[in-house]
Amino acid sequence: MKAKLFTLKKQSVAAFTFNLIVLLTVLISFLPLIPGLIGLLLAAFGYIPAIDQYTLSMTGFKQLLAWPGLSQSVSLTLFISMASTLLAALFSFAILQSCWHSRWWKQLEALLAPIMALPHVAFAVGFAFLFTPSGFIARILGEQINWQLVHDQYGLGLIAALTLKEIPFLLFMSIPLLKQLNINTTLITARSLGYNNAQAWQKIILPQWLPKIRFSLFAVMAYSISVVDVALIIGPTRPPTLAVLVWQWLNDADLATLPKASAGALLLLIMCLVILLGIRFTEWLITIKCRTWLSSGRYSLPISGKSIIVTTYLITLATLPILLMWSFAQRWRFPDIVPSRWSLRFWQQEWHYLLDIIANSIMIALISATIALAFAIIIHEHSIKAAANKRFLKVPRLLIAIPMLAPQLSLLFGIQVATLYIAHQYYYLWVTWAHIFFVFPYIFLALDGPWRSYDQRLDKVALSLGLSPFKVWWQIKRPLLSPAIWIAWAVGISVSLAQYLPTLMLGAGRISTLTTEAVALSSGQDRRISAIYALLQSITPFLFYIIAIIASRKTGSLEQQRTTSTSRITTSNVSISNQSHHP
Amino acid sequence: MRRLFIGLGLLLVSTFSQAAKLDWQAVEEKAKGQTVYFYAWGGSPEINNYLRWADKRLNTEYGVRLKHVKVGDIAEAITRLAAEKTAQKNNNGSVDMVWVNGENFKSMKRYDLITDSFATQLPNWQYVDKTLPVDSDFSEPTLGLEAPWGVGQLVFIYDTLTLTKPPASFNELLAYAVKHPNKLSYPKPPSFHGTSFLKAALLELTNDNTPLYKSVDTQTFATISAPLWDYLDKFHAVAWRQGKQFPTSAAETIQLLDDGELDIAISFNPNEATTSQQSGKLSETTVAYAMKAGALSNIHFLSIPWNATAKEGALVAINFLLSPEAQSRKGDLAIWGDPTVLAASHITGSAKNTKLFKSIPEPHPSWQTALEAEWQKRYGH
Repeated sequence: MKAKLFTLKKQSVAAFTFNLIVLLTVLISFLPLIPGLIGLLLAAFGYIPAIDQYTLSMTGFKQLLAWPGLSQSVSLTLFISMASTLLAALFSFAILQSCWHSRWWKQLEALLAPIMALPHVAFAVGFAFLFTPSGFIARILGEQINWQLVHDQYGLGLIAALTLKEIPFLLFMSIPLLKQLNINTTLITARSLGYNNAQAWQKIILPQWLPKIRFSLFAVMAYSISVVDVALIIGPTRPPTLAVLVWQWLNDADLATLPKASAGALLLLIMCLVILLGIRFTEWLITIKCRTWLSSGRYSLPISGKSIIVTTYLITLATLPILLMWSFAQRWRFPDIVPSRWSLRFWQQEWHYLLDIIANSIMIALISATIALAFAIIIHEHSIKAAANKRFLKVPRLLIAIPMLAPQLSLLFGIQVATLYIAHQYYYLWVTWAHIFFVFPYIFLALDGPWRSYDQRLDKVALSLGLSPFKVWWQIKRPLLSPAIWIAWAVGISVSLAQYLPTLMLGAGRISTLTTEAVALSSGQDRRISAIYALLQSITPFLFYIIAIIASRKTGSLEQQRTTSTSRITTSNVSISNQSHHP
Repeated sequence: MRRLFIGLGLLLVSTFSQAAKLDWQAVEEKAKGQTVYFYAWGGSPEINNYLRWADKRLNTEYGVRLKHVKVGDIAEAITRLAAEKTAQKNNNGSVDMVWVNGENFKSMKRYDLITDSFATQLPNWQYVDKTLPVDSDFSEPTLGLEAPWGVGQLVFIYDTLTLTKPPASFNELLAYAVKHPNKLSYPKPPSFHGTSFLKAALLELTNDNTPLYKSVDTQTFATISAPLWDYLDKFHAVAWRQGKQFPTSAAETIQLLDDGELDIAISFNPNEATTSQQSGKLSETTVAYAMKAGALSNIHFLSIPWNATAKEGALVAINFLLSPEAQSRKGDLAIWGDPTVLAASHITGSAKNTKLFKSIPEPHPSWQTALEAEWQKRYGH
């Protein structure tokens, strides 16, 4: 009796601690939203003490609506965002369909890391250099090209670049999902029923893949709608996308444009939510509404993934040697295919200052990604509990997604003011916190699919065999999900490394990272120096992706673990799960 | 009566500057050990290197560290200061020193982000060339709230191999564009250089430019600016990419000149052609020139926000940057090539060779906003 009471007590203490941790996590992860959103709303409605405006008004919105070209800019932004998201999703699926079982998939998978590590800005710089009328392609052809892909009116260049850049991300996110979908058995079953591979992928795997990749698609969409730096480099200019406009207004020397800028930022947020619903609707259309298509026969769409993946890899990887050449170029003029004069000068100039900057960048990234990873796992575990037990409050998905979806600049203004009220001199604390805040949704998203795919029955079996909840998690769930955890960690690190505004605004210039330096230098359009920073910006996250990939190989997918790991408790459980899936 | 007012006014001004008299020795003493966070545009490796040199010299000479906070646009610093103002953070601010001029200065002044008048009390003020308009910034009186650092002149750069006789006026520029379509353009307003191009063009095209030096009158704006829009309508039709697209910045026009897409680039540094050749960005056959009427000219400044933490350090740093040594190095064509604000007699080295073009003063700042808005309405979308 006493022993039973003791275990009960122990359990309630454990539950209490877990709840406390959840509460703390929620506080740390979402607290910055309060000043961020309040600041955004107040500024949009004209309450800006900084410029002596203390009354609420619609001036900002009036100015916004009066801006010539607003409607073009809004429709252009919507078009770019939807087109790049849809294309990226379609192409990724096509690639998975045609390459998942090919002999060279392992190589494809290994190559994803360097491609994903390449930051958007660096990619945009390389993309621009390939495709401008006097770019590398024109140099190979020997004459200036007439077609326009960089800064073109309809944003086609921007759509192309975003699509190319997001395909690897979606593929990377799909790997753990597909590994848990038991593709092999599905295909075998489908084949035995007379479906070919393409039909099986489109009718059986797509409806399973889509809900699981949903959150990643949101991220891709949100990025495409609010991206500023890439849009500045290759996006349309007349008018530019709404995010660029907001950025320009916020950076206007005349502070009186702040209400207009904030109103624009709010509009951007609303547009984001609208497309988000659009994606959800499309998903519903495909998986629920078009069920008849799914079960109505053998027709499938002919899509070729191989040429898409080859194009993606070629264009992305072509930017790297070009950046490398630029970093050593003293003089490289059109139509030369290689620089006419070389120089070590730019590397030598920067070298002394780089070590500090790199150390800073990595330190912040490691700390924030690791903390955010722990938080994301905690919230996922909590969500599972909440789904099973009505007494628990759920953490709404939308709340988690806001830091990813809202334009950073607008949130940061409010956050910055809040830190000023508290104690703004703890620069590292605020910067790291802000990084956790912005990294968290990406890590959460990277874990989303795997966590949903995890077979809960494993936990039940283990619990019934007498393991404590924590032991169940640590010895069964963690090893099974560790490939996903490693990948999420690397994604988090690369997101943190790419943060520009939070570092600049909360670090007050005390903290320089590779990204803050790179963005500041990019305004001078010196291709040599930009190339150096773009290269370093790619190498750093690349290292962490490599670490993640090696680590996740060590643990591996379900099938691998069954064959490689020998004495662990997981082995027997895995076979249970496999059997229970397909009796 | 009127005279009395003027007399009173003068008295007030003189007491104002008297009251803020600096004890320089005490300033240097207090500055020792301070770190000055200097917010400045960070896009140019040449400028960044110059500031690294200044940091080293300041450290050995005065024990002051100069930390260059590289920003893509100085307005980022102003937004930050505005936020600190909102939070009533009136001391221990994060920005100690800024590099500004024009609209940005006007904004800082208007929202009381700089309050102390210091420029004329710096020991090195004595070397400053007072014949330059160092006391007004885009016709906004500086009142000593900022100290001059360098001179900007709107110049055009061309390659002598492609162009033998460059257009000497905006009308000739149009004639050239008609003859050689798709080869000329200007940075898209509201970028700094783009708007400057509009102002320079209007100054030449209008018959009477006196209204341009007064605040914009909405009644007459349309008639006064009409020649400019007329000109641009014709120019865009034959401009680079039919005026459907514009370079985003002056730096891009230089890249496009080198790429052979444009025949003429734009810069605010009269030595840009030489310094760009030295760093490998332009061919040795490029030359900078100004229009026959002269070059739109302005001065860029250094200032100290009201809530700076290292105020003394910033004063010492600005004073050092105004020294003959620092100004000579800044003007060195192999270093940065920015024209000095000091009298020529104090300058040594290749900086001495910099010849300024005939200067056209900047119009009233209200024209900038008005022209940008109208341009946006007509061509921005």
